[in-house]
Order: sequence, then C-alpha cells, then structure tokens
Amino acid sequence: MKMWARVKALFRRKQLERDLDEEVAFHLAMREEKKRARGVATEEARYATRREFGNATRVKEICRETWSFVGLETLWRDLRYGARTLGKNPGFTAAAVLAIALGIGVNTGIFSVLNAAALRLLPIPAASQVVSVDQMFHGKIHRNVHGEGSLFSYPEYQEYRDHNHVFTGLLAYEPFVQVTMGGASPQQLFGAVTSCNYFGVLGVQPVLGRGFVDGDCSAAGANAVVVLSQDLWRTTFNADPALIGKSVLLNRSEFTVVGIAPAGFGGTEPVPSAFWAPLTMQHALDGLEPGRDFLGDGDTSWLALLGRVQNGVSLGEVRADLGVIAGRIDHEHPGRSTTLAIHTATFLGRPAERTFVFTIGGVILVAVGLVLLIACANVANLLLARASARQKEIAIRLSIGASRWQIVRQLLTESLLIALLGGVAGSLLAFWSFEAITQFVLAHLPHGFPQLALNMSPDYRVLGYSLGLTVMTGIVFGLAPALHATRPDRSTAIKEDSGGLTGKTGGGGFLRNTLVGLQVAVCMILLIAAGLLMRGLYSARTIDPGFEMANVTQASFDLGSQGYSEERASAFQRSMMEGVAALPGVDAVAEGSATPLSDNHSETSFQLPGETEGRQMEYNEVTPGYFNLLGIPIVRGRDFTAAEARASAAEIIVTEFTARTLWPGQEAVGKVLRKIGDADRIVVGVVKDAQVSHLGETEKVYVYLPSGPKEQAHMVLLVHSVGGYEGVASGIREATRALDPQVVVDVTRLEDNLETWRTPSRIVAALSGALGTLALLLASIGVYGVVSFGVSRRIHEIGIRMTLGADGKDVMKLLLRQAMQPVMIGAAVGVAGCAAVSQILSKVLYGIGSHDPIAFVGVPVFLLGIALLASYIPARRATRVDPVVALRYE
Amino acid sequence: MGERMEKQGDLVQGTLDMLVLKALARGAKHGYAVAEWIHESSNDVLQVEEGALYPALHRLELRGLLSAEWGSSENNRRAKFYALTAAGRKELAQEAEYWRRMSGAIARVMQTA
Repeated sequence: MKMWARVKALFRRKQLERDLDEEVAFHLAMREEKKRARGVATEEARYATRREFGNATRVKEICRETWSFVGLETLWRDLRYGARTLGKNPGFTAAAVLAIALGIGVNTGIFSVLNAAALRLLPIPAASQVVSVDQMFHGKIHRNVHGEGSLFSYPEYQEYRDHNHVFTGLLAYEPFVQVTMGGASPQQLFGAVTSCNYFGVLGVQPVLGRGFVDGDCSAAGANAVVVLSQDLWRTTFNADPALIGKSVLLNRSEFTVVGIAPAGFGGTEPVPSAFWAPLTMQHALDGLEPGRDFLGDGDTSWLALLGRVQNGVSLGEVRADLGVIAGRIDHEHPGRSTTLAIHTATFLGRPAERTFVFTIGGVILVAVGLVLLIACANVANLLLARASARQKEIAIRLSIGASRWQIVRQLLTESLLIALLGGVAGSLLAFWSFEAITQFVLAHLPHGFPQLALNMSPDYRVLGYSLGLTVMTGIVFGLAPALHATRPDRSTAIKEDSGGLTGKTGGGGFLRNTLVGLQVAVCMILLIAAGLLMRGLYSARTIDPGFEMANVTQASFDLGSQGYSEERASAFQRSMMEGVAALPGVDAVAEGSATPLSDNHSETSFQLPGETEGRQMEYNEVTPGYFNLLGIPIVRGRDFTAAEARASAAEIIVTEFTARTLWPGQEAVGKVLRKIGDADRIVVGVVKDAQVSHLGETEKVYVYLPSGPKEQAHMVLLVHSVGGYEGVASGIREATRALDPQVVVDVTRLEDNLETWRTPSRIVAALSGALGTLALLLASIGVYGVVSFGVSRRIHEIGIRMTLGADGKDVMKLLLRQAMQPVMIGAAVGVAGCAAVSQILSKVLYGIGSHDPIAFVGVPVFLLGIALLASYIPARRATRVDPVVALRYE
Repeated sequence: MGERMEKQGDLVQGTLDMLVLKALARGAKHGYAVAEWIHESSNDVLQVEEGALYPALHRLELRGLLSAEWGSSENNRRAKFYALTAAGRKELAQEAEYWRRMSGAIARVMQTA
C-alpha cells in the first residue's frame, strides 16, 4: 500500500511538488491574514509568519522524502556524482572502460559461442517442454554401437514410447545419415531417419505438403517418402512447389517428396539435416551395413530420443517413470543395469558431447576469465592511483561526518559505472564480432568437417552472463581500492603522503605491486600456452610421421550408398586402379580401407593361441603395394600378394612394435593371431612403425589385413605421382565419371589429413595468442601506469637524491629495481603455473611438449623485456628532473 | 547528523499524529485549520509547529489513515483538505485508548506522595 503510493508518487513528482508549494503558500497566507486582522502591519505580518514557520524548504524536503524511496534517490545521487567525476577525468575513464570492454567482450563472445553450441534450447515451439533421453549401461554389456553408446535400439524405443505416462509424445531419430542424392549432379547430404511422430512432437509443420503419418512407419519399408529442408529445396530444386509428389533418388532408391520443412529448421543436431525419411526406410539409406536389420535388433544403439513432457510433469517424474521401464528392460539382460540421463533438450546434449563441449568450453572460459582478471587488476591499479590523488577530497568528506560506508558506496558506484560502460561496450563488440569470427572459423575447418549451424544471437542467458560478469567485475576491481582509500588510519596515510623519503611507493604500494605481479603472472601463463601451441604446430609441419605424404593423392567413393554389391564394388575398384595407374606421372597405386592419419579408425579384438582374453587392436585392410607406396619399409617377411587380397586370405602383417609386444625376443613371422570369431591368421611380414593412427604416436599395436571382397565398397584409393596433384585429381574424377556417373568421389591430398590434427591446435593457438597479446598489452599498460605514477609521486624525493649527488643512472637503477621486483615475482609464479597448465594441455591437444625450452625461456625473456621497457619510459622522465624544480614541486 | 533529530521527533510524533487525527474527527480540514484547531482546543497551550505538522499530514496520508482532496476554503482559496479514512478512525480510537491509559497511569504516579 505504502509502496504503491510511493510508486504512484514517483510518476507524478511534478504535481506533488506543485501541490506541496501551494499547500505551504496557503498556510502562510492564512496566518498572515490572521495577523493583519489583529492589526499587525502588512510587512511585519509577512516576516513574522515566515519566521514562525521556520525553514519552509526543509519542511517541503521532509514531506518529499516521505513520498520517495530513500535508497533509490541516494543511488541516483551517487550515480550522478560518479558520472560527473568520471566525466572530469576523460583519460582515466577511457583507459578503464577500454580495459573492461576488452575483458568483458572476449568473455561474452566465448560464452555466446558456448551458449549457441550447447545451452540454447532447440529452435522449436515450446522447446522447454522437450527433453532428451540418453542411457548409460553398467555391468555385463553386449552391444553394438552405431554412432554413440548412449543411443537406443528400435525395440527399446517402442518400449519407452508405448509405456511411459509422462510424454505427450516420444520421438526417435538416427542422426547424421549420409546419403547420395542422385540426379544430374549427384551430391552427398546429411539427414535423419525419424519416427513418424517426429514433426508432430517437435511442433514443426512442413510449410508445403505434409509431415509423416503413422502409416508411413507401419512396417519395415512401408512408405518411401521424404521431407526436404527448405535450404535443399531452394538450392537444388529452385523452390519448385510442384516438387511435392515427385520422386528423388536417395542412395539409388526412389523417395516421394511429401513435404518441405519451414525455413530455419534443420533438425535437432548442430549439423543441419537436408532431409528426413521414416525410420522404417532405414535399410534403403544405410550405406555402411546394407542389408542389416536395425529395426528388429534390440541390442544396437542407433536412435536418439526426444520427448515432449505433459503439462505439469516435472523432470523428476519423467526420470522416475522412465526408470521403471529401464528396469524392466534390464530384467531381460541379467547382470546389466541402465541409468538414464534426462535433460531439457539442447544441441550437443548427449553425455559424450556434453563432456567434450563443457571441458573445452571450461578451459577457454578460464583463459578469457584470466584476461578479464588482468583488466580488473589494471583498473584497480588506476583507481588506487586516483584514490591517492583524491585523498584530500575523501579526507574532507570523512571529517565532515560522512560514514565510511557512504564513501565506499560512492566509490563502488563509480567503479560499477565504469564496469557498466565497459560491459555494454564490450558486449556490443562481442555480439557484433563473434558471429563473424565463428563463421570464419567454421568455414576454415579441415576438409570433410561437417558444416555447423550455430545461432549466436544473444538471448537472456548471454545477457544475464555479461550483466552478472559486469557487476562482479565492478565489485572486484572497485572494492579493494575503495576500502583502501577509506581505511580508518587517516593519520598514517597523510604521513605517507607527505613523506616519500622512505623509498616506498607510497600509500597502497603493496596492493599495487601485488596487482602488477598478478597481471604479469596471468599474462605469462597465456603467452607460454600460446608459445607451446605454436611450437607444436611448427613441429606438426616438420614432423616425420614415418611414411611418405608428399605427392600422394587419396580418393574415396560412396559405393556403399550407391548400393554396390561386393562383386560390383570389386570390379569398380579394379577398373579404377587400372585406369588411374595408366595416368601420366602416376608410379604407384594402392588401396586401404583407411588412409594414414585419417579420422577413420577400426578396432577389434585379436586372440593369441592359448589365450582366452582378446586384445583390442587397431587394424587396417590394405592391398599389395600399400607399404611400398607410402614408403613404409617391410623389415622382415613379405607384402601381401594379389591373390591374398582378392580372397580375403588368412594372412596378417604386423608392425615392429606389435611384434615386440606380442612375441618379445622371438621371430614374429610365422606366428599365429586370430581375429575373434574368425580363422587363424599367419604373420607373413613385419613393417616398420609409423604414425599412421595418431600423429606423434609411433609405438602402437597396429595390424594390417589383406583387403577382401567385403571391404571393397569403402576402400580408399591412394595414388603416388610425380606429375602434380591437379592432373591426378582430374584424372581420378574423369575415371569415376566414366565408370559410373552417379558415384560421388572425394579427392584430396594425403597431406590434408594432417589438418584434422592441426586444426584444433591452430584454433587454440590463435585464441591463446590473441588473448596473450591482449593480456600483454593490458599488463604493460599496468606496469607503465604504476611506474609513472610512482615517479610523479616521488619527484620530490628524486630531487633530494639528485641534490645530494645521485646521478641519473642511480635514480634509474633505483626506480627500475623497484618496478621490476613485482614483475619478477609475478613472472616466476606464471612460469610455475604454466608448467601445470601445459601438463593438462598436452593431454588434450596434439603437439605440446610440456617442457619445451624455447617457449619456457623465450616467452619469459620477451615478457620481461616488455615490462622493462614499460617501466623504463616513465623512469627516464624522472632522471631528467631538474633538482631545483623537483624540490619546489607541490 | 540527521539521525538524532529524527529520534527526538519520534517522541513528539506519536502525540502529534494523534492530535492531528483527533482534529479531523469531526470532518475534513486543511492544514492551517488543523493547526488552529489544536491551538484553540488546548486553550492556546499547544502550539503546533508547521515544520512538524505538514510532514505528519503527509506521513499519515501515505499510511492511508488520511485521504486528501483539493477544495475551496472558507475565503474561497484553493486548499488541500484532509479527512479521516476508515483506517484513520480505527487508529484514532486505538491511540485515544492508549493515551487514556498512559496519562491516567502517569497522573497516578505523579500524585503518589
């Protein structure tokens, strides 16, 4: 009631003011009249009335205060005062705001990337009702994984869909289905096969045609229909509305287009879907394992689940309800138990993705947080310096009765004002620039990296984050200087102020030096990390992986998607190899199911005779000539023969390390090894170790099998030539077209495989390099500021020293020694901290030697050089001081 | 510096509020009339200070004990008239009862020899 009356009063302030004036005037007039009526003279009556009434302004003020929010008014006053003070020192304000803007900007930017990648809700109506369901198994597990282990099988999906009591609908889809769309120019597309309630549960309706109906999913292969994305419809079909009802070729099967998805909808994965087909058409679209029955298999993980929760049902209830179903399924698998992970659905929401994004995101947020910390330390230092200059003002305010809290509040308001200005400027900068930066990075990812679609526009999370950060920043850099400036022992401060002969930097010297040390330490960590990464990149360029990369071209074909049988695939590969071998300049041709350092790894269990437990080993299937082409020497035994390759024979070739590990001290050739569930294989050769699986990892158990008929559909062609890449590439493309115009071929240099390894390091190196530079800039401004402030405070002392016979050199030495002391301590702390950081980084990113001497010596020397320069410049000013002028100073 | 003054005012405040409420018990009055009424009713003993009167009126209005309306005074000038609200009447009754008990008690104490 009171509150409401005050709020109302707030909006009719002017009216209130007028009423109050009138009310008082009326009172005075009445009293004056009464006095006159009693015979007092007009003038006399007026003065007497005024005198009796007392201080009318004060009375009105008390009345006004009755109607107002005292806290709010005080804040407003503090703000106005703060704004005035900041306005009076434009140089200081600009420096502080800039530092904070850079710090907040980089934090907000990184956070908005993280938000876009993994925090934002799905771009669908009422997205907060939709949850993702994932499962984790414990105990005895026999399971095939197609994609990720946390996905579901079709029978499991049916169980959850039909027996839950919490969802209005539960949908399932297989993400990242890659198919070849036939036509005049065949192209590869990413899409999804989905349950037929997909569009209904998501609440997304096709803008043209229809979504799926239950009949589309009634049985395996029931209805070959497809919904296309708006993008695909526009780019490939010129937005032709007559496309509905026509058919398109997907992996050589005809699908009828029944609908076009609305613009901006690309499914629920960060890689946008180009099409959606019913789950029951899965067999026609799976290029990897054609003919396998996914629908009936209860032990294969391949489906992601999203459910729309009924109104009023909590996440806890969802967990409990689905947990019952999970328990029932576990009952049929003795020794196994399942835990479900249920979250409000976001991009990258599966447990493995979540861990990855939050680990990487966390590391980067810490790094940018450190930059913000430097910026804070910098501004805190500026404030400290200014507080000394304002000591007189503060002392006067304290002595005329202002409480310490009032002054601290005033100073904090000022620093919050700086933070707010910086925060707004920085956030605007981030919103404007980070989208462009991210697009640039995404566009320059290595070949074969799927294109991500990230919505980076700020939402309430980003705004809340930057606002929270801004307020925290304002308090962090404002509190210490404010408390320091108003500390109770004023007398000490005044003494320090007038002293200066003690050789100390004056009031707040310790705090200021600590802040400088902190900045240098943080800056050191960032720069050394950047240095380590760049060294890593350099060594990745110059490293010898143990095989030949130059002049090798690789080509892969989508024969699986094209529905090639084993025989047709073999015939295709054979003709291809013959055709390419005849190209000018080509001197070797071979094939492998994976090429060295590609992002394609196969692993399975092998058994030694007499052992019951299998050993997990990475393997590759290769043709004869593979080792020769890549320059990997066969140290003992022999290569596969052409006959062995054709027949998927029982031979095997192992690496030296494998031989040493499995048969230490014995001749490996002639030994027996068995792939679990397969025949015995005899070792026919031992090849030299090479970094074919992971860059930098030479010693690894790795075996080679001859490529048999089963692998033909996904063999990758390797071509060594002396004639240059372009000629070979166009030769391969022509040969493909001649054999089958519908086949999509992907031709790249073998060296391009390195990009997969270098790119993460390159991105992190660029990021930490940029942050390091920013940090260096801020830190050197900090050092410069502190030294130049110290010099101006000690002009008097320097004057005395010089009068007493010290020369410029002595003064310089003194100043530099004192300036560099905190820098050295900070640098030492930074180097120690970085030793710890590099241990962590070396586990995540390729190419970091955790004790790289160049980074660990070079960076500190460089940083100390910069710090020395930053203190030398202002210190030089001191040595040019004329003693006479200096003594008269102040 | 403001704090001490307010504490002193508090002592007067309770009484002043009650007197103001009482002054308005028979009908709406403007501020000047309230002051005059108190002055006259006390046989010129109580002199209400304007510096305290108007803040009191505004405070009571804010608490919803008084309602205010602009009207015409007896000499035809625009004046702000205050009147008791229902809550104001209740408050007055409580204050009067409290005052009766307190003043009686104080009088008895003072009469004790």
